[in-house]
Amino acid sequence: MASTALRLSRSDVDAIKVELDALRAEIAADLGARDAQHIHRMIRLAQLSAIAGRTLLMFGIDPLSWGVGVTALATAKILENMEIGHNVMHGQYDWMNDPALCSQTYEWDIVCDGDQWRHSHNILHHTHTNIVGRDRDVGYGFLRVSEAQPWRPHHLFQPAVSALLALLFQWGVGLHDLELDEWLRGNRSRAEVRARLTPFLRKAARQVFKDYVLFPALALGNAPRVLAGNVAANLVRNVWSYVVIFCGHFPDGVRTYTADETRDETRGDWYVRQILGSCNIEGGPALDVLSGHLSHQIEHHLFPDLPASRYPEIAPRVRELCARYGLAYNTGTLWGQFTTVVRRIVRFALPVAVRPVFA
Amino acid sequence: MDPAGRIDSGIILSVRVFTRMLISSDVAGRSVVAAARRVLTSPWLRPLNDADALDGLLALANPLWSVRALRAEVVRVIDETPDTRTFVLRPSWRWDGFVAGQHVCVEVEIEGVRHQRTYSLSSRPDEPTIAVTVKRHPGGRVSNFLHDAVRPGHVLGLSRASGRFVLGDPPPRLLMLSAGSGITPVMSILRDLHARRRATDVVLVHSCRTPEDAIFRHELAAHSRDWPRLRLAFVFTGETGRLDRERLVRLVPDWAERTSLLCGPAPFMEMVRGMWREAGVDGRLRCESFTGPITAGVSGAETARVKCARSGAVFQAARDRPLLVEAERSGLRPRHGCRMGICHTCLCRKVSGTVENLLTGAVSSEPDTMIQICVSAARSDLTLAL
Repeated sequence: MASTALRLSRSDVDAIKVELDALRAEIAADLGARDAQHIHRMIRLAQLSAIAGRTLLMFGIDPLSWGVGVTALATAKILENMEIGHNVMHGQYDWMNDPALCSQTYEWDIVCDGDQWRHSHNILHHTHTNIVGRDRDVGYGFLRVSEAQPWRPHHLFQPAVSALLALLFQWGVGLHDLELDEWLRGNRSRAEVRARLTPFLRKAARQVFKDYVLFPALALGNAPRVLAGNVAANLVRNVWSYVVIFCGHFPDGVRTYTADETRDETRGDWYVRQILGSCNIEGGPALDVLSGHLSHQIEHHLFPDLPASRYPEIAPRVRELCARYGLAYNTGTLWGQFTTVVRRIVRFALPVAVRPVFA
Repeated sequence: MDPAGRIDSGIILSVRVFTRMLISSDVAGRSVVAAARRVLTSPWLRPLNDADALDGLLALANPLWSVRALRAEVVRVIDETPDTRTFVLRPSWRWDGFVAGQHVCVEVEIEGVRHQRTYSLSSRPDEPTIAVTVKRHPGGRVSNFLHDAVRPGHVLGLSRASGRFVLGDPPPRLLMLSAGSGITPVMSILRDLHARRRATDVVLVHSCRTPEDAIFRHELAAHSRDWPRLRLAFVFTGETGRLDRERLVRLVPDWAERTSLLCGPAPFMEMVRGMWREAGVDGRLRCESFTGPITAGVSGAETARVKCARSGAVFQAARDRPLLVEAERSGLRPRHGCRMGICHTCLCRKVSGTVENLLTGAVSSEPDTMIQICVSAARSDLTLAL
């Protein structure tokens, strides 16, 4: 058990709950035209960026326009996946009553099926954040990122495996809810896996067809250029989202929990767990938008269904609350946080516990 | 068979063959169109055929342009009475007309939130513009927004016209009964009859509080001057009390023999319906009910009745327990996830009624809004799209 949670008295936890509920209510009551304008602007930006990128790839002939085209298309995909798709599917814009922004029907531009994402991410990860054995985002079932996970020989390869995951990140996200690791361990029947495989294959086939068949074919003679550009744009998006997401829960200092610790958890305990289990990245407004505001992972985990563009304005207040109650508010630069992530992946590849467990 | 008969049967046969060909070519044509539509809307062609994206980009050029949504621009706002305004709309090319007496769903965006309300059309169907006439309701979000913020140039969302409150072939004798803003569909039918110079004998009985509250009174007076077969009977409840059966009989002695149209608030409609039913002539009465926000409150420990529009199920819900829990207690299995209001998996359309969010205390009585049933409790009888 970590000391932070023990230091808090029951009345402290209850007071934290009251404060955070009030903060949430204050923002929820203030939602309006400004938030609607923000998401519409982001959608328009992503669409225009995609059109510009695909046009440059399709009709250009020089390397410069190829590079700009790849950048524009990658930006469009990053905006759509992170600032729009992820946030819309969290229900951040359900209050607008706009069928195009409904959390339960939105489908995003990635090989991961929307319904499977809603299950693995919104329900499993956000409800059971950082509970080893419950939250499948703790190492995604094959990486060892915490002392609480027992070492297995395959963890020796995890530095290489995680580098490969960075390049193929959208496939990792797509396969996540299939829980193939559970099947390999004999905890899932073939029928269960097959039932989850079908929606994944359907979505993946459409994505592959779009980027690697349809658009190259439309470019006729320019097909190789478009194909290469689409591969590159997907790679850029993959690596960027990998970096942002790994910085959310894996840097040094993040807390993991056991199922026993969280058995009789109150809403206040849940809030505390979200704070201690998440990490922020410091940067400007550009980083905020390009990370889908996951640069404010702590605020996102406290209020996953408040519009993400509100996180920067509530962050100072959350930080102040953490200081008052002695809760660690884990934040750092992108480079600083990512360095500790890499260090952890390498360190936990080895069976020996670097930190003595009996301390 | 004589030669003429042979020719006749030959003609009949060829007509039949020709008709068959026409029908089959029509069927073939329709299936080609259907197949083309399937291909064009196929998910395999996304994002090329993303209608939402296309609509968003078209709207940058002209807010009326759209491949899917139907929209209308406000071209004129007319003050009818101190609390009632007519909004004259020019619909986009996707509008396919209406029959007098029908209604449309109007969509507005207020502070980032989309709201829809159904209004009867009050204009004549053969005009290039259409009109809705809206009374300002105290506390009504949409009616107040329309009155306060909507001016010529504003673009509204629109649905296609629907509704069965239409006249069909004009009967020889017609009685129209309306109260308050219930006159709007009646006015559309009356304007249509007037324009087509139908030989129908019409009596309009309209009830409202004062002469100033009588919507369309100048136009009605003008019509009655140049249309001798139209007789107007106003009942001003502020001066002479509510319309009752005796008064109606005195105003229209042959009421039972007339085809009748009725539109107004619930008590008015109940009175008229009861009268027609008792006389056994309710087959001649056509009604348009006209519902405002009705919120039957649930007090204390009482339970509310929740109707599930999709499954037809009905269950009782306590006001201090989440709807999800109450639905499960009665054997239903609604989709859900975290059960603590964060994942939005249990999101469900509330068709009507009032709910309270148990986490935030926020109360919602808007029709057609999305609610999280794992943290919402009933505050009135509800209809959910479950």
